[in-house]
Amino acid sequence: MRTNRKIEVRRCRPLLGTFVEIQAFGTNPVELEGAIDAAFLVIAQVHRLMSFHDSESDVSRLNRDAYYEAVRVHAWTWRVLKSAEEFSRNTDGIFDVTTAGQLVKWSYLPRYRFPSGMGSWRDIVLEVTGRVRFRRPLLIDFGGIAKGFAVDRAVEVLKRNRVMTGIVNAGGDLRVFGSASQIVHIRHPAQPDCAAGAVRLRERAIATSGIYFARRENRRRCVSPILDGRTSRAACDMISVTVGAANCMTADALTKVLFALRERAAPLLAQYSADALVLERDGGPSWMFDPTCDASPQT
Amino acid sequence: MTKSEFVFIALPISAVVAPSTFAVQYLTVDQAQRAIFPGKSLTAAPVKLAPAQRKTIEQASGVRVLHDEQQVWRVSGGGWFIVDEVVGKHEFITYAVGLNPNGSVKQIEVMDYRETYGGEIRNENWRAQFVGKTSQSQLKLDRDIKNVSGATLSCRHITDGVKRLLAFYDVALKRS
Repeated sequence: MRTNRKIEVRRCRPLLGTFVEIQAFGTNPVELEGAIDAAFLVIAQVHRLMSFHDSESDVSRLNRDAYYEAVRVHAWTWRVLKSAEEFSRNTDGIFDVTTAGQLVKWSYLPRYRFPSGMGSWRDIVLEVTGRVRFRRPLLIDFGGIAKGFAVDRAVEVLKRNRVMTGIVNAGGDLRVFGSASQIVHIRHPAQPDCAAGAVRLRERAIATSGIYFARRENRRRCVSPILDGRTSRAACDMISVTVGAANCMTADALTKVLFALRERAAPLLAQYSADALVLERDGGPSWMFDPTCDASPQT
Repeated sequence: MTKSEFVFIALPISAVVAPSTFAVQYLTVDQAQRAIFPGKSLTAAPVKLAPAQRKTIEQASGVRVLHDEQQVWRVSGGGWFIVDEVVGKHEFITYAVGLNPNGSVKQIEVMDYRETYGGEIRNENWRAQFVGKTSQSQLKLDRDIKNVSGATLSCRHITDGVKRLLAFYDVALKRS
C-alpha cells in the first residue's frame, strides 16, 4: 500500500566547528534517512578539505606549502577559492580569505608554525592547471564561506536523492528548498539567547553574522572575527546582519561585507539579487534591502 | 526567478520577554542505535568508573569527568555505542557516539539539543518602525522556534566530550 502521509526526518551532527542540522520532508522514512546520511557525508568532506585546524586539509596544505610551490587542490577547494576571488574583487577586498593571520594573532584561530599572514587576496594565484600558489606568505581561512558552500553541496545531494523539500542549517547559515516556506528566527544582536524576530523563506538561503559570541578585548581594544579585509579592522558594533540569497555561500560571504558597508552595500546586494536585514543593538531593524524594490537603475 | 518572502517579523514584546527554548529531540536512544549501527544487536554494558580511572581519563583527555557512570552498549560483531551529555554556556546536549571495534569514531549523532532562551529585553525601542516592511505577526513565534539563524554556536563541547570518551574507551573498554 502506498502511503502519502508527510513525514519529517531531522538529524544533527557536529561538523564544520558547529552544529549542522538537516531536515527532510517526504513520505518514505528510509529514503529520507539515506539521503540525509549522504548529505552529511559531503559536509564531512567539505570539513576535511577546508578545516583550518586539520593539518591534512587543503587549506592547511596551502598555508604550509603554497608560498614555496604550487599546490594541487580538490575541485571543491578550487571552486571556493574562485568564488572568494570574485567576492574580493566585487567588494574591493572587504571580503578577503587571507585575514587569517590577524585571526591567529587574536587567538580566534590556533597558532601556526608557518609564515604568518602578509599580503592579500591578490597574492593568491589560481593557475589554469588547477594548482594554487601564493605570491607572499599567506594564511587563508574559509571561515566566511565554507559553511555556506557545504550547505549548498548538501542541498544538491538531498535533491539528487529525491528529497523535494528540506532545510540544511550549518550553525545558522541555512538554506530552505522545495515548496514549503519556513520561518527562521534571527538571534537578537545583543542578547543571543533571545530571538529578535523572524523571516519567512522559500527556496532561499540566509546567513546571519553577529559578533555576540565572539567579541572580546585585546590590549583594551575590541576585537572580533569579522574583519574588513581592506583595513584588517574588526567589526565591533553589536549589530547583526542577515543576508538572503539564492545560494548559501553567497549569503554567507555577503554578511561579512555588509558589516563593513551597511547601507552602502545596496548596489552589491542588487548585483547578487540578495536581500538584507540589519538589526541594531536593541534588536530593532534599522535597514532592510529588497532587490526587487531597490533595484539598481540598469535592471 | 524564485522570489523569497523576505519579510522581517518583529516579535511582539511579550514573546521576547517570556523565556522560551529552542529544543529538539532528534533521536531516542533506540533510534540513535539503529542510525549508527543498523541491523546490529546491542547489549547494555554500563560502566562505573573508579576514582583512579576518572583521574586517568581526565589526565589523558584534558577534559573533566562529571559523571562516574557512563551509558555504554556493546555491539554484536564488535564496536561500542555510548550515550553522553555535555553542557555549554548556552546549550545542553545529549549525543551518541559509535565506536568501531578498534576504538575509532564511527559516527556521532546529536540526540537532544536544548538551547536556553531566558534573556529579558529591557530596551523597548526594538519595536522601531520600519517603513513598509516590519509586520507584526499573529504567529506564536516564541513557542514555535524551529530554525534559528545567527552567529555560529561552537560545537567545542562535543569535541571535548568525544576526546573524553576516547580516553574513557582506553581506560574502561579497550581490553574487555
